[in-house]
Amino acid sequence: MSSDFEAYEQDFGTLTAEITNKIGRIPKLAGEEKTQLVLNVDKQLEEVRELLEQMDLEVREIPIQSRAMYNSRLKSYKQEMEKLEKDFKRSRIAYSDEVRNELLGDDASSSENQRAHLLDNTERLERSSRRLEAGYQIAVETEQVGQEILANLNSDREKIQRSRERLRETDANLGKSSRILTGMLRRIIQNRVLVFILGAIILLTIVLAIYFNLRGH
Amino acid sequence: MDNSGKEKEAIQLMADADKKVKSSGSFLGGMFGGNHKVEEACEMYARAANMFKMAKNWSAAGNAFCQAARLHMQLQNKHDSATSYVDAGNAFKKADPHEAIKCLNAAIDIYTDMGRFTIAAKHHITIAEVYESELVDIEKAIAHYEQAADYYKGEESNSSANKCLLKVASYSAQLEQYPKAIEIYEQVGTNTMDNPLLKYSAKEYFFKASLCHFIVDELNAKIAIEKYEEMFPAFSDSRECKLMKKLLEAHEEQNAEAFTEAVKEFDSISRLDQWHTTMLLRIKKTIQGDEGDLK
Repeated sequence: MSSDFEAYEQDFGTLTAEITNKIGRIPKLAGEEKTQLVLNVDKQLEEVRELLEQMDLEVREIPIQSRAMYNSRLKSYKQEMEKLEKDFKRSRIAYSDEVRNELLGDDASSSENQRAHLLDNTERLERSSRRLEAGYQIAVETEQVGQEILANLNSDREKIQRSRERLRETDANLGKSSRILTGMLRRIIQNRVLVFILGAIILLTIVLAIYFNLRGH
Repeated sequence: MDNSGKEKEAIQLMADADKKVKSSGSFLGGMFGGNHKVEEACEMYARAANMFKMAKNWSAAGNAFCQAARLHMQLQNKHDSATSYVDAGNAFKKADPHEAIKCLNAAIDIYTDMGRFTIAAKHHITIAEVYESELVDIEKAIAHYEQAADYYKGEESNSSANKCLLKVASYSAQLEQYPKAIEIYEQVGTNTMDNPLLKYSAKEYFFKASLCHFIVDELNAKIAIEKYEEMFPAFSDSRECKLMKKLLEAHEEQNAEAFTEAVKEFDSISRLDQWHTTMLLRIKKTIQGDEGDLK
């Protein structure tokens, strides 16, 4: 009986070694190979579970005195299997440095990459500082243009104020002149009336004179 | 084009107008319709002048306008006379600058007589421009600008007065009359400091004033800059003030290279115009001149 158990133990040992190996390799692979390996490891984990079950049955058949030792061994094997399963799960989602390197470039040329990076950065900095300078220039120009515009506005303001004053003066003058004209008109009418009255008086006098002359005859 | 036709017409009109004027000079004409005839003659002169302008015969047009102006004076129409003189001046501007200036001067006399100083000032500016551009007589131009500025000040149009004063100052500085320029720039600077619209240009004026101080004497410049900073705190932040300080340092150390460096740096951001470059060149020469003396 215990020889069965020991056979199971040996199987367990080889299987776990294989599984560990494969789990180690899984992150480094990708795609087809990875899925293959994952299935493999899955199958092997199944086998390990069956082995553990059989070991369990075996242990139950062993007489109680020696059971303790086998029990403890069984427990440790179970723990190992759980650990393997956990590792397996982690490995399926773990990233590996090598995959990164494959994606982002070889490990051997990393120093060149850094130099290229630095040059790139320097160029970018230079470009930005040039753009800042140009922006500053434009800002200064804008300020100067603004100054001129403000000066123009000021002079326009004064012109407008002066024109308004002159307009008011002209308005007042026009009012005065219209009053003077109406005054003139009135005086003209007065004069004409006077002339008519005087003319009438003279006519009357002439008529009276002729009348008296004729009466005097 | 019928310009030549117009010219002939114009000459004809002039002859007619001349005859009219002569005829009105005789006794009878003076008694009956002298004034009327003279007015007609005036009008004919004006029309003839316009036709000459159409034919682009500027000097003939100017002459015609002058004649019209004289007749107006006879008739005591000061306004019309002055306007005719101005027209004559404009016509002569394109042909004979001297004549133009004479006519404009006559017009200015009439205007100042009538008390219209603003217009007189405007015409002073026109004359000054003619001196600037065509006759290149900077002294006379300065004189006219100054007159214009005085008239404007009298009429309380400070912005126009400032414009004229600035021109006076820049030309005086070019002619190396630095005290005058300094005074004007300082005055204008202090006036504009308070005006919210113009205070952004005040630092420009202080910069120019300090440049002029610099040419005269370096110590003056230092004192002046401190004074301006006190009066006008915003001045000390401006790039111009920083440039002045650098230039003062360079001058103290007699370091022409540092001088050129500072100037180049300033120029790279905002170009220096002709006036500034001339002044800075003079200052630089004094540095190099000093070096030559030391050697």
